[in-house]
Amino acid sequence: MLVFIAKRARNAVLLLFLASVLCFTLVVSAPGNVAILIAELRTPTATKEDIAKVEEELGLNKPLLERYGFWLQGALKGNLGISYKTGEDVGAALRSRLSVTATLVAGGAVVAFVLSLLVGFIGALWAHRMPDYIMRGIALLGASTPSFFVGALLVYAFSVNWHLLPTFGFSGPASWVLPWLTLGFLPAAVLSRVVRVGFEDAMAKPYVLTARSKGLSQTRILFRDALPNIAPTYLNALGTQIGTMVVGAVVVEPLFAWQGLGDLFLAGVRFRDFMVVQACLLVFITFFVILNVVVDIGITLTDPRLRRQRS
Amino acid sequence: MTAEPILIVKDLTIDLLTAHTAVRPVDSISYQLRRGETLAIVGESGSGKTVTCFAPLGLMPVGVKADVSGSVLFEGTELVGANEETLRSLRGKSIGFIFQDPMSALNPARRIGHQIAEVAELHLGITPRAAEARALDLIKMVGMSDPNARLKQYPHELSGGLRQRVMIAISIAAEPKLLVADEPTTALDVTVQAQILRLLKEIQARMDMAMVLITHDMGVVAGAADRVLVMYAGRQAEVGPTEKVLVAPRHPYTMGLIDAIPRRDDAIGSRFRGLSGLPPILGAPIKGCAFTPRCRHSVEGCGAQRPPLRTTADPAVMAACPVLNA
Ligand SMILES: Nc1ncnc2c1ncn2[C@@H]1O[C@H](COP(=O)(O)OP(=O)(O)OP(=O)(O)O)[C@@H](O)[C@H]1O
Ligand SMILES: [Mg+2]
Repeated sequence: MLVFIAKRARNAVLLLFLASVLCFTLVVSAPGNVAILIAELRTPTATKEDIAKVEEELGLNKPLLERYGFWLQGALKGNLGISYKTGEDVGAALRSRLSVTATLVAGGAVVAFVLSLLVGFIGALWAHRMPDYIMRGIALLGASTPSFFVGALLVYAFSVNWHLLPTFGFSGPASWVLPWLTLGFLPAAVLSRVVRVGFEDAMAKPYVLTARSKGLSQTRILFRDALPNIAPTYLNALGTQIGTMVVGAVVVEPLFAWQGLGDLFLAGVRFRDFMVVQACLLVFITFFVILNVVVDIGITLTDPRLRRQRS
Repeated sequence: MTAEPILIVKDLTIDLLTAHTAVRPVDSISYQLRRGETLAIVGESGSGKTVTCFAPLGLMPVGVKADVSGSVLFEGTELVGANEETLRSLRGKSIGFIFQDPMSALNPARRIGHQIAEVAELHLGITPRAAEARALDLIKMVGMSDPNARLKQYPHELSGGLRQRVMIAISIAAEPKLLVADEPTTALDVTVQAQILRLLKEIQARMDMAMVLITHDMGVVAGAADRVLVMYAGRQAEVGPTEKVLVAPRHPYTMGLIDAIPRRDDAIGSRFRGLSGLPPILGAPIKGCAFTPRCRHSVEGCGAQRPPLRTTADPAVMAACPVLNA
């Protein structure tokens, strides 16, 4: 098992290195010249010399390989360079934004996890009866409603109508609740179907008949026999959904006037702020790579056949 | 074997209703079973052996509704019409089950130790730790080597024969009075078959259990059963003590099954003497004797009226063939 984890970690590092090269190449080859933008920002009537000066300052006239090496060296030390646009330290900007987005996604993931299991369990416990159909309806609705709409609805209900929670901004832990619900709702709906369908499949398996022949109750069979069998599938789907939540966060953040990574990234793209774009991409990719490794380890731990194979 | 029967089945009839079909795989089956006794139920594939034994205890796969009528008395409790609660309290505790396919009957995601121990814990009212000790004893009892390591293994790490041993350990964990073994050796290879059968007989003797042994192998019947019930197309063809039925079969179908057993003096490579033809497709009700189209002894009236199960010249044997038992 440890060997498996070590191997996965090594592959992840390799992958990250490749990703950093790709990131750099993509950003560098994107159309638009940042030097012109910056020069014009300083003096609206910038001349060729002004632009050359900016290029010199930012090291943009150096060969690509040298630029990459320089950037990578810094990145490894946590120094992600200076924003072309604001002159701020990219690392510092990133850290404050990252904590916002990370809290949002983590909370959303917890919401998705708890809600999906709850809804899925209710559906399985009362299979093909009223509660199951109600949960199915909610899930269908949830899976087909865009998150900005869910957000607006939640804000309307909880803030405007009932005055229970703040509408936007940061004013204590209560202000987290609506964004978390907004972000977690759609994944919860999708995942609850994974749970429900997984149970349906598992409960039709011969080993469930065996479990029933032992005199075990239906509820116990659901949790002790069926659940371990759907765990790997569920973890896999959960991983995918957490991945999409990072993208979802870009939509949800502005809804609550939060300044997270999404905001930083979009601004960076708009301004051809290579340093910021690069750093954001790298953060996103790192997150996905780590997520993948964690999901893989989780699946291996919950599936005895894989565990044996990989240890 | 003089005590009251622990299982009395009378006119058991079962209709299966699925989303698409309605069939009657079990039609007026009657038999009795005493403590320590083994009844073999024999018949070709699809003759209704499994449904006869499992449906009255509520053990049908999901999506199949079993409409059970007649009477099944287990230790004085009527199972036909009993609620799920009653049936569940008997399953595992008083009646143990072994399934046809050991490859799929165990839970792939759980350690076999747990799968055995939970039965003991549930029905013997013992602590989880005591149940684990009991699981260890059971693993030894069913003849598995290295029992401590086995407890922690998963089904996919075991061969078919070992999985069937685990299944046996599960089925006897609460010391049931009746064991229903559905073709416990069919899915295994020949050398393992004999071992498993011997193990079952040993355990049965030790625990003084009654056993219903489902099989389509007359060899198994000869080696293991006190009494035999022959089924054809959901109906009872013949029932009686094994030694009588095997030596002097009184129904043409039983004769055909016995004739199909390979013999020592068969020339190597000689043609397999199976029954010719196929059993009828269930669905449409069969008016006369279901075996008529394949029967060598059939006469004019066979297809017209269903033959009743009657006592034959030997009072211990009953058969449903008026032609041979006039
Ligand atoms: N799950 C099911 N759904 C629908 N019909 C079924 C089901 N199980 C059994 N049947 C019907 O009942 C009949 C008898 O089935 P059963 O499993 O009792 O036969 P069997 O004698 O045990 O055969 P085998 O030797 O193949 O196990 C089948 O021919 C089929 O028509
Ligand atoms: Mg069967």
